[in-house]
Amino acid sequence: MKKIMILGLLAFLLTPGSFSQEMTGEDIIQKVNDLFNFDSNYSKSKMTIVTTSGQKRTFIYESWSKNKGEKNLVRYLEPRRVKGQAVLMLNNADDIWMYFPRTQRVRKLATHAKKQKMQGSDFSYEDMGSGDAFIKNFTSKRLKDEKMEGYDCYKLELTRKPDSDTSYSRLIMWVIKENFVPVVIDYYDEHDPTLLQKRLIQSDIRIIDGIPTAMKMVMINKNDNSQTEMELLEVKYNIPLDDRMFTERELKK
Amino acid sequence: MRDKVLKTLAYWHAHHPWRMILVVLLLTLIFAFFAEQLKVTMRWSDLLPTGDKRTVQFNKIIDEFTSATSLVVVVQGEESHIKKFAEDLAPRILNAVDTSKNASLQKKIDKIRKKIDQLKTKEKNESKIAKLQSEIKTLQSQMNKKLFKRVDYKTEVDFLRNHGLMLLKEEDLKNTKDVFMDPNITGLLFNINNSMEKEYVGQEESISTREKEDNAVAFLDSIQNLVLKLQKATRGQNLSKEEVQAVADKLLFGEPYFLSYDKKALILTAVPNFTMMDLDLMVTGTDAVQGIIDDLLKNYPGVKAGLTGMIAVGRDEMVYSEKSLGYTTVIAVIAILILLMISFRMWVAPIFATFNLLVGLIWAVGTAAIVVGMLNIMTQMMAVILLGLGIDFSIHIISGFTERRAAGDNIAEAMEKTFLKSGKGILTAALTTACAFLTMVISHSRGMKEMGLVTGLGLLAILFATMLFLPSMLVLRERRIDKKREKKQDLKHAVQRDISFRFLGKTSELLSKHYIFTILASIIISFILIWSGSKISFDHNYMNLEPKGLTSVALQDTVQEKFDLSMDYALVLADSIEESRELSKKYRELGTVAITEDISLYLPSPEQQQKRIPLIREIREKIRSTPIKKSVLPSDFPVLRRELERLEMNIMEMQDMAYLGGQDKVENKCKEIVGDPENPNSRNIIREELQFLDENISTAAKGLSEFQQNFAPYFQASVIKMSSTQPIRLDDLPVTILDRYSNKKRDQFLVTVFPVGNIWQNAEFLNRFADDLERVSDRATGMPVVFRALIKIIGRDGRNAVLLTLVIVFLLLLVDYRNAGHALIAMIPLALGIFWMVGLMHLVGMKLSIMNVMGLPMIVGIGVDYGVHIIHRWRHEGRGKIRIVYSSTGKAILLTSLTTMLAFGSLVFSIWRGFGQLGGALFLGVGACFLTSVIILPGIIGIIERKNRETC
Repeated sequence: MKKIMILGLLAFLLTPGSFSQEMTGEDIIQKVNDLFNFDSNYSKSKMTIVTTSGQKRTFIYESWSKNKGEKNLVRYLEPRRVKGQAVLMLNNADDIWMYFPRTQRVRKLATHAKKQKMQGSDFSYEDMGSGDAFIKNFTSKRLKDEKMEGYDCYKLELTRKPDSDTSYSRLIMWVIKENFVPVVIDYYDEHDPTLLQKRLIQSDIRIIDGIPTAMKMVMINKNDNSQTEMELLEVKYNIPLDDRMFTERELKK
Repeated sequence: MRDKVLKTLAYWHAHHPWRMILVVLLLTLIFAFFAEQLKVTMRWSDLLPTGDKRTVQFNKIIDEFTSATSLVVVVQGEESHIKKFAEDLAPRILNAVDTSKNASLQKKIDKIRKKIDQLKTKEKNESKIAKLQSEIKTLQSQMNKKLFKRVDYKTEVDFLRNHGLMLLKEEDLKNTKDVFMDPNITGLLFNINNSMEKEYVGQEESISTREKEDNAVAFLDSIQNLVLKLQKATRGQNLSKEEVQAVADKLLFGEPYFLSYDKKALILTAVPNFTMMDLDLMVTGTDAVQGIIDDLLKNYPGVKAGLTGMIAVGRDEMVYSEKSLGYTTVIAVIAILILLMISFRMWVAPIFATFNLLVGLIWAVGTAAIVVGMLNIMTQMMAVILLGLGIDFSIHIISGFTERRAAGDNIAEAMEKTFLKSGKGILTAALTTACAFLTMVISHSRGMKEMGLVTGLGLLAILFATMLFLPSMLVLRERRIDKKREKKQDLKHAVQRDISFRFLGKTSELLSKHYIFTILASIIISFILIWSGSKISFDHNYMNLEPKGLTSVALQDTVQEKFDLSMDYALVLADSIEESRELSKKYRELGTVAITEDISLYLPSPEQQQKRIPLIREIREKIRSTPIKKSVLPSDFPVLRRELERLEMNIMEMQDMAYLGGQDKVENKCKEIVGDPENPNSRNIIREELQFLDENISTAAKGLSEFQQNFAPYFQASVIKMSSTQPIRLDDLPVTILDRYSNKKRDQFLVTVFPVGNIWQNAEFLNRFADDLERVSDRATGMPVVFRALIKIIGRDGRNAVLLTLVIVFLLLLVDYRNAGHALIAMIPLALGIFWMVGLMHLVGMKLSIMNVMGLPMIVGIGVDYGVHIIHRWRHEGRGKIRIVYSSTGKAILLTSLTTMLAFGSLVFSIWRGFGQLGGALFLGVGACFLTSVIILPGIIGIIERKNRETC
């Protein structure tokens, strides 16, 4: 009888539910951060934006990142009109350069472009920046667990740290309990923490090189009711990448 | 008591019909006098609760800022033609005068002149004569009054000439100061390139917001103009001094005309001498300008022009709603008349009923004039609604009277029985309907509150008119028929036709006998329709309420498309320039806002001006010290060539960035300069110029030198002039700018906020924009805020009114029947009828809107009548007489519901889609309540009678 009781206690302690009860918001966000803790990666993506006159425009591009997202290189493949155009982001998108194959010139964009929309999309350079931004810029608090997009999720509230220059005052994040992928993130206004600006919804989660990866993302901009869809066509993690790839000179190649 | 009054009335009709008619005609004259005074308002803000801050602010703005409610002329065609058209049109609009009052004023003047002539014959009347003569002068000054005080179609170039640099933001000055420092062609191109590289390299955001995108397009447009004029110059084509100076002006001040992005549309804004409160002038002013446009268009074959803006839309809404309601009323009257003639198989009585109805309507409109004084968008429909309902009283009286006459009663007996049998039902039904309508008075919104008032009181007015008028006409007719018969010695009774609807009686008897089937079928149908009703959605798009096919409304879309500017902007009043500046800044920071306009565009803060002064001084000193080259020599060509190539590359890069960023306007403008990379045949004007320079050095040098001689000194003088460091004060602003952004006292300032997209695309964006507006200032008003508030308030009012009306109706029925069971039974068809109505609305593809949501409390008042009449007759006839009840009263309610449906249905033909929405909903509602009364009620009566039989 006693043996059964001990086994029962062990079983209770080892269930994910009881384990999750002990996890704090900081623990969960650390787990989320660890997901992005790959040194380098390569991806081929498809992004659809809506132009100012309301037409849909789709781009296909390759991107490489290194040092946990600190360095990023994006090179456009399609449509033919933009083939070869490239963007280099260093220092977690603080410094951005752009290469124009038509004129064969490289231009540097200003640092504050980080908060601007990325190439007409509803993503900002900051949204696409490094994975540790959640830990660096926010303090995390766990809220009551909720079901979101069909997944059992931890719900977190991330509040901007006083010294952070992020453009969001707070985030609400639903993290899938099973794999720590943030399935939905709500981004709130820089000045008004009650004003929802954008919502990111991630879906089609697959395990790639052992890392759960959302193959589809939709960013919904609540301000102008626009949305940008992004789809990963190919992903590789922890691949060897030369630092020289991420230089202004290499951008032209 | 009630019986006594009814008997007395019947007696008076039977014995003194002419006296009754005389009283009615006298009363009609009095009501007609009041009805004549009734005014109409088409402002949506007037539907909000009285004293609502949005309405107060909106009315204050349109009263104090005539420029906020201006007449907008949209001209379309080729750039040069539409510019010329605008130049021709503007002075003509300014000369437009109001001649509508001339005749009456002239009459008054003539009268005074006669008086003066009479006074002149007598002595010592000089002072009186002088007084009268000054009166004439005052009256004369009111004749041919100018309708418009200003026509804006160009930017305030003179003001920009003097203060242009002070108006540039510090950041922009830093980035663009180079452009102003060298007036020579090569130097200018060099500086433009530096500035372009600095600007978009330094600030990627420069083309990431709407305002910046517009600036980029304007800048590229001036570059395109420069290159095209350089092309002409290098090719030796003659360019006048003015043409060359215009190139410099465009570089420095931008496009002077209010042109669309594609340059195929132009906007003129005529600022009236009247406000939207002057309804007559609103119509006169709009019609006058339309006339001028129509005349002028004859000289411009390729040009199209039309009117829009608040004044034109207001005028069209008013005129077309009146027209709409006019012909829908005629349709309804004719349809009702035909229906009555067919069903009564006679023509005189239906004509009497229609005539009686028209008299009743005059009473109702007169009552409305006394009670509310002004009809709004919703209450305008009162005539058609009352038409459909008011005819019911006549139908019941004619039905009852003709039946009694058919049964062999003499006139007096028939009239008394009609009043006692049908009169009670009419009174109960009319009172319940009127009370139900009057319950809407509890609503917060003026729209619903006044609708309740005018329809409730209007219905009572028609009831009184019918009780006092129609029976006398019927009596006179019967007397005439009797006399004819007497002459012919026809001893047979006058009316022998049975005009009851026996098929209704038979059907209801069958449904009553098979009550289990009836009730089960009703439950199944109700479930299906309730399920359908639960799927209905709310239409937040105000454009779906607007008249269809109106130019003024359609042009709003043209403006949105061509100028990327929504006409549904928001307005906010500020108490000071500082507040205006602050509000404008806060609004610009919002993601839902495209641009803002306020006085701070022309009046930077003293601190901002102070910060700009050193930069302006730097520009002034530099441009002053830069020597002007007298010619462009072939030796200058390598530098010129390099700068043109650099310019080409800068624009190409800008184009590529704009393509990636989805900024179509910038990309399209770049295409016009450096061509389309996807189309090798597209024109690259810079490349063309480079090729020409290579091949025609001497011609090009000569042409460029001439260009340089006219351009450089003018450019230099202009920059020196616009680099004044004199601080700009409020008094320095031209009146045109002051009038646009401040009131007459100059103590209130207007901020206009344009949304980033179409606010009607979905409810979420409308709510978002309205929330943003109200978060920054609780004084925000304008269509987005007003309409959002209307949706909220009318939605809430509708729900509350339905619930309260149901309670009131039940209480009234309880008092009438003194039997709670019977009161409840009478209400069952109504309760189910409402669900059926919403279910049917969804099935036919209708949505709820702020117009038809008002139909829900109204249908409570209308739909209850059918149950009331049936239960009244059933109680009167006694058990087992359901066949008789439905043959007679069933006929009456079929006719009344058909007439009501015809009246409401006629609204579907209205140009005003909002009217059609309410008409359609009420059409289905009345139909549903009729069906539930003839299907469900016989089943319920069947159960009760069965139960009673078992008890016995």
